[in-house]
Amino acid sequence: MEPETPPIQSSKRGTHASASETSDLVPCGRPERARLAPPELDRIYEEHSRPLYYLALRMLGDPTQAEDATHDVFLKAYRKLGDFKGHSTVRTWLYRITINHCQNLLQTWHRRHIHTTDDEAVWERAAGAAESPLRVLETKELGQRIQKALDTLSEEYRLLLLLVADEKLSYDEIGALTGQTSDAVRGKLHRARKTFAAIFNQTA
Amino acid sequence: MIPNHPTPMNRHTSKLNQHEHEERALHQQGAQQQTAVEFASAEEMLRHDAGQTPVPPAVAERLQRSVDQEPKPPRSLWQRLFGR
Repeated sequence: MEPETPPIQSSKRGTHASASETSDLVPCGRPERARLAPPELDRIYEEHSRPLYYLALRMLGDPTQAEDATHDVFLKAYRKLGDFKGHSTVRTWLYRITINHCQNLLQTWHRRHIHTTDDEAVWERAAGAAESPLRVLETKELGQRIQKALDTLSEEYRLLLLLVADEKLSYDEIGALTGQTSDAVRGKLHRARKTFAAIFNQTA
Repeated sequence: MIPNHPTPMNRHTSKLNQHEHEERALHQQGAQQQTAVEFASAEEMLRHDAGQTPVPPAVAERLQRSVDQEPKPPRSLWQRLFGR
């Protein structure tokens, strides 16, 4: 069962913040309107499927499993729109379903992290104080290198980086999705960026 | 028979080849420089990667089939009466 998203401030980080995002998709609460009509599903899918698929892909690390997860997430959303109270944006709600779905899959598969907390501490120290830009010559293999670096990160850092990459999510929303304050998100992101950069530069 | 020692003619040819090699190397280097992309942060890189990663069309097709198989929501009395 997917938990309902708590009320969220609508402050946005980027200029791409969509205040009007799917505002007309809030269900009216009557049972016969609980399910999405196909045109509405089309619209939601069109607007949100790409970031959700990307999140699933990078969380699970496998395109086929990411396809399955994306399908399952939208089917769940289709079935559960009646439970959606509109306290958050549709995008945040869909993100929550996706995160829960992927985390459940990861737990079910007994996937264990490649790293340990100690490993991550080593990478954090290696990152040093300076945040060097990430330079790539061959963008063809970029996805593989990103996946390799993300797999080495802790699940928390990985998720934070993936969420902050979506400019439509505010720090408050990321905090709500990951169960922490926006200040904690900022602090952890700083460390996550440095750790990611240190690991990524080793993947060349 | 091809002489092993360089003649004035093939020395020139060899120089041309060398020049050609150098130009090609420079060209390749230039091409590499053109494709080099620099990202200021991890999320900028992830954003770029996400932009290059479309959702496979099979997902939408499969979702459509699954939605078609879902039980339809109950029709209201008004809908049943007027058949809409």
